Amino acid sequence: MRIQPFGDSALIVTFEKVISEATNQKVIAVYNALKSEKRILYLIPAYNSLTIGLKVEQWSLSSASVSIQKTIDQLSTPELTVVGRTYTIPVCYEAPFDLDSNDVCEQTNLSKKELIEIHSSQTFRVYMLGFVAGFAYMGSLPNHLACKRKATPRLRVPKGSVGLAGLQTGIYPTEAPGGWQIIGQTPLRMFDGNRPETSLLRPGDHVRFRPIGHDEFKIIQLKIETGIFEMEEAHA
Amino acid sequence: MPEFLKVKCLKTGLYTSIQDEGRFGVQDQGIPISGALDKSSMRIANQLVGNLPNSPVLEMTLFGPKLKFEGQGQIAITGANMKATLNGKRVENYMTLNIKSGDLLEFHNTDFGCRTYMSIGGQWQVQNWSNSFSALPSLMEEPGLPARLVDDYSFTVAINQMQELISYPERNRPLFSECYVIRVVTGPEFDQFEIEVIQDFFDRIFVIHGDSNRMGYRLKDNLQDYVPSGEEISSGIVVGTVQISNAGKPIILMADAQTTGGYPRIANVVSDDLEIVAQLKPGDELKFMLVSLE
Repeated sequence: MRIQPFGDSALIVTFEKVISEATNQKVIAVYNALKSEKRILYLIPAYNSLTIGLKVEQWSLSSASVSIQKTIDQLSTPELTVVGRTYTIPVCYEAPFDLDSNDVCEQTNLSKKELIEIHSSQTFRVYMLGFVAGFAYMGSLPNHLACKRKATPRLRVPKGSVGLAGLQTGIYPTEAPGGWQIIGQTPLRMFDGNRPETSLLRPGDHVRFRPIGHDEFKIIQLKIETGIFEMEEAHA
Repeated sequence: MPEFLKVKCLKTGLYTSIQDEGRFGVQDQGIPISGALDKSSMRIANQLVGNLPNSPVLEMTLFGPKLKFEGQGQIAITGANMKATLNGKRVENYMTLNIKSGDLLEFHNTDFGCRTYMSIGGQWQVQNWSNSFSALPSLMEEPGLPARLVDDYSFTVAINQMQELISYPERNRPLFSECYVIRVVTGPEFDQFEIEVIQDFFDRIFVIHGDSNRMGYRLKDNLQDYVPSGEEISSGIVVGTVQISNAGKPIILMADAQTTGGYPRIANVVSDDLEIVAQLKPGDELKFMLVSLE
């Protein structure tokens, strides 16, 4: 673990250079411990690091660094093992939403049925949010589902698209350019600026994907529009 | 009863948006900080019309908008000189200007500098979201959230009491040049770069690429013999981070940049120099100078 200055008004805490649940759990524990600190302007939890923007006129880099080091040293088992929520995210893996499923199947030597089966039978961890508001980076896929990003990124990936890149899976909360391989679409609004909690997922949450057909896709969409949709909390 | 000044945007110009101090505390959800890129110009503009320094302003880029007013009020223009005309007559920057109903304000191009700011005295009746009036970057445009200006967009301002016309002292006004030395401190991955690459980074004069915007400044030249040291794990980004793309091109991340990235971060621009970067336009030049913290 290392605390470094990051520019002249932020610090970055970096844990071991791996993508793992245990490492990310430390990030989330420090993030939770610092969340209500008034001398912090913003926090950016990521896979193995936490970026801490400071109100430097109130808290210098050096004194914040000492104090944050203490906070980390004092973290105890309950804080390091706190479990996030587990949500079920419905995904339609059928055309026209499965833009790159054929490519993925070719790359991985899997049938489409196997691809869906693998993607929807595992619980994934939300490691961080980034790229655009509410984009959750989730992992990790089994090695045999690893695939390359598209050589030429799409200019417009449709909102709700579920994609794969390397050992990660993610959902586009809004239409955006991107190079992830798209295998389906969720009708859920991953980001909504008019909700109290704008992003559906938080780092540390867990997600399971549930395959749905076109009819259910439309029904969920309708439920969301009329405000009667309820998220499914899954039991991992 | 407050009086209102209505501003109608007839033509938006290249990229015009409402900006203030920025939006802090929501970066954990992947939302950029945003805010005026040249904060000094924003504050001076607000001061000239009797607003609090962090009140919203219009930020314009390279070529400004065409605005029509209804009602009366006061405005001020700061930053890069876009040769603004009020009803066809040139007006001066850095002073309070009176506006009356039917006035037409046209901004043109900049010769030096990149961004121009316009304040309006009073309370802006515009969308506030997560404690900021700043437009979300175009990638995050969602109905009902603050966005950049488009043709025919209009908004109103509940105007302040008219105040005495003041002028910002000429000797304090910034002069914009086409070449700057930008101070940086070492970035989180500084030690990971080969010494030759670091030397090249600080020796070279970089040219600003045309594909630069509020998200980031791309620099035209590649660092010599740069070989990426392998895949980085995505990590947080702060405004002013200088990252090196796999092709060896430096990118300076600005206020609308995404909150995380996967390129190694060689350096960070010091806070005071961010507004100098913000006033560089495509084709302008910069050189990095390493300084220590404090």
